[in-house]
Amino acid sequence: MAPAGGFDSLMAAIQGGAHSVYFGVEQLNMRARATMNFSLEDIPEVARICKEHHLRSYITLNTIVYDHDLSLIKTIVNAAKKTGITAIIAADQAVIAYARSVNMEVHISTQVNVTNIETVKFYALFADTIVLARELSLIQVKKITDAIKAEQIKGPSGRLIEIELFVHGALCMAVSGKCYLSLHTHNASANRGACVQNCRRTYQVKDREEGYELAIENEYIMSAQDLCTIDFIDQVLDAGVHVLKIEGRGKGPEYVKTVTQCYREATDAFFNGTYTPEKAKAWKEKMETVYNRGFWSGYYLGQKLGEWTNTHGSKAKLKKIYLGKGSKYFSKLGVAEFYIETHTLKMGDRILVTGPTTGVIETTVDELHTATGPVTEAIKGDLCSVKIDTPIRKSDKLYKLVSTTE
Amino acid sequence: MITITLQREKCIGCNYCREHASQRFAMSKKDGKAVLLHAHERKGFYVVKIGEAELESCTSAAKACPVKIIKVME
Repeated sequence: MAPAGGFDSLMAAIQGGAHSVYFGVEQLNMRARATMNFSLEDIPEVARICKEHHLRSYITLNTIVYDHDLSLIKTIVNAAKKTGITAIIAADQAVIAYARSVNMEVHISTQVNVTNIETVKFYALFADTIVLARELSLIQVKKITDAIKAEQIKGPSGRLIEIELFVHGALCMAVSGKCYLSLHTHNASANRGACVQNCRRTYQVKDREEGYELAIENEYIMSAQDLCTIDFIDQVLDAGVHVLKIEGRGKGPEYVKTVTQCYREATDAFFNGTYTPEKAKAWKEKMETVYNRGFWSGYYLGQKLGEWTNTHGSKAKLKKIYLGKGSKYFSKLGVAEFYIETHTLKMGDRILVTGPTTGVIETTVDELHTATGPVTEAIKGDLCSVKIDTPIRKSDKLYKLVSTTE
Repeated sequence: MITITLQREKCIGCNYCREHASQRFAMSKKDGKAVLLHAHERKGFYVVKIGEAELESCTSAAKACPVKIIKVME
């Protein structure tokens, strides 16, 4: 299951081979800040795209809920029901109760912190899929999935409860996202999706009496590395997990495509019996090229405590530099024309094109033309054309990918 | 004269503004976002002029807003 923070990421998820996508609508989700969400008017189009590509679609509606939110919840659930969205990912009982009352499928969010079989049984009264807490070990996960089969625990649909697990992406430093830091310092509640990510900053320890500062080896004392399970995905799948969830509604489409693709290939390889540690290493290296804070295995293998990152922001080995916009596509020639607004595009550059319909295209420039004919570089203000097999559009953005060590 | 503006589209519905200045802010039952009472809309910004008596409560509402979409201009 891949994150869709916008139409570009939705297309990227499809290109990456996702079976399902999850996304936020308006403000009642864990990424409430506006740019990463769809609006109510977008729901029919999202549902249409998902149906066309045989994707299951889930709306996250999993914040803390206040009285004034109740009407919006009903509006969103009704719109989801009407347009054929697969399910609602919920944490608050108000959301669960309303969705059930209109016969909408419910999935229990990781925010609920489900950690044992009795809680699974309780939520099975309302939900068909449950996202377990990220703090469980795979041994605990397996006990739960075994018990679901042994005790035949079924959801409202009559099917056995499916267990979903986060397999990749950012981890909260607090248990199941129940963090108060952002509210404490910025009035911005993480549990209303407004987290300012205090844990991602550096801190120092100061003696308040005399002002002496203590040296801390790693100043990022709270910033967890990103979860990555690709090198033990066989164990995750052996634990009876049905749905592998990828974090990242706030991340770019190139992240969504690359990570989804790697987990798709890894899962397929596992079921074909062709999964090997060497392949896992290659997938991991590929995922290091997109946004990450360094990888660790989370709590699934029973490590004692979080491993902290030692840098601010991403450790991605490639970064994207914005160059300009899409202009035209000449389908007969297989040539895309771009308008360069900044920097320079050179022969041999690795480029990235992203857009709401295009999704993500990654290629290398091996032919470059401007109005004057073949050139070795195109500069700011140039209209240039590049050979690309798939159509690009006016709404697309052109980036070049460069190594972060350059 | 004091002017308050609210960039409503970016509201996350946290309710803080109403906690601080309930005479000037309400929560919409329709979409769960803040409503700046008696304001006029200008390109997505809701604007209203207020008297001195409301300055303190509205300033603290603006300060409390986690997404910084309330501005108080004297």
